[in-house]
Amino acid sequence: MKLEPGTGKALELRRGQVLRIEQIEGGQCVDFNCFNLHDYKEFMHTGRTRTLYGLHPGKGCFMWSAPPRERPLVYILEDTANCNDVMFPRCSAALYESVYGLPVHTNCQDIQAEAQREYGLTPDDVHDSFNLFMHTGVDASGRLTIDRQRAKAGDYVDLLAVVDVLAVPNVCGSDLMRTSNFSIKPVELSVFAASEAQLAAVPPFKPLASNRTPAQFRNSRIKPDRELRRDPHYEAVFTNVPIEYRELPVPLSAQDYALLEQCRRSELYGDDDGAALRDIVFSWWEERFLR
Amino acid sequence: MQERIVVLKLNQQQLELLDRTIQGGAAPDRVKLVRLALREYAARHLAAPGPERANET
Repeated sequence: MKLEPGTGKALELRRGQVLRIEQIEGGQCVDFNCFNLHDYKEFMHTGRTRTLYGLHPGKGCFMWSAPPRERPLVYILEDTANCNDVMFPRCSAALYESVYGLPVHTNCQDIQAEAQREYGLTPDDVHDSFNLFMHTGVDASGRLTIDRQRAKAGDYVDLLAVVDVLAVPNVCGSDLMRTSNFSIKPVELSVFAASEAQLAAVPPFKPLASNRTPAQFRNSRIKPDRELRRDPHYEAVFTNVPIEYRELPVPLSAQDYALLEQCRRSELYGDDDGAALRDIVFSWWEERFLR
Repeated sequence: MQERIVVLKLNQQQLELLDRTIQGGAAPDRVKLVRLALREYAARHLAAPGPERANET
């Protein structure tokens, strides 16, 4: 199907199905979001995805759901343009009004909301999107930048559903920025089953005990009203509290103490030997064991 | 110089990580693990022209 400018579409993707998002003319940004089809409270989280893969995830990356679920929802099976972004939030009506003086303008927030409405979701259910075909960067001062993009006609991204998802792509509404080279153009969507070879190429995901489900929540009820009211029966149950410190005396030889002296971060810990050594121990642990 | 006693203040979560690392075979006890960490960290960082801190925040 052709996704027309100014529109989006919510599509049910079953596990093992692939959504191909393809450039027709080229140079078109596509915002993408997805939800667990059977529990919309589990949704794609650009933050988790960004942390794992950096600012420009592409082929071979998963799109992850937000904590406390934190599991792969979609696998990027193919990406011929290699030009994606997970820094920028979706554009919104307020952006075009505040910057351009245009209170009524195509924007990804409203397009996503309208597409998701087909499944009973509200504008508040739109989350930050995975921005496909968006050329971004960070300048020397730390500001985020958008540049013109070079996706060509026929470039595509194949998104493989790892679980059943509601996938929501939309044609980015920005025609006043470089995002899509100052125009809005249609893109082509198609859905097909992944081959056995493609499925076999997906890295295995071993669920963790901490990939929580609503069955483990202390409150799993979805709040039906908008007003926030204190629960008079609430009792706080935080993890591992109270946090208590114990002393671990470590005898150091003159040689070892000399190493501590050479490695210590005096600018942070002054003459606190224990704090300096603790920093070294956990820095060492990161270097040796973090993957 | 004589032996020095350095006192680390560690909470139960930090101790849990150290104990799991010991269980994994890195060292026989907490004190030896700390010494191992110090020596390996020093070997890595003092070998370079300056402390390698690029990956740390």
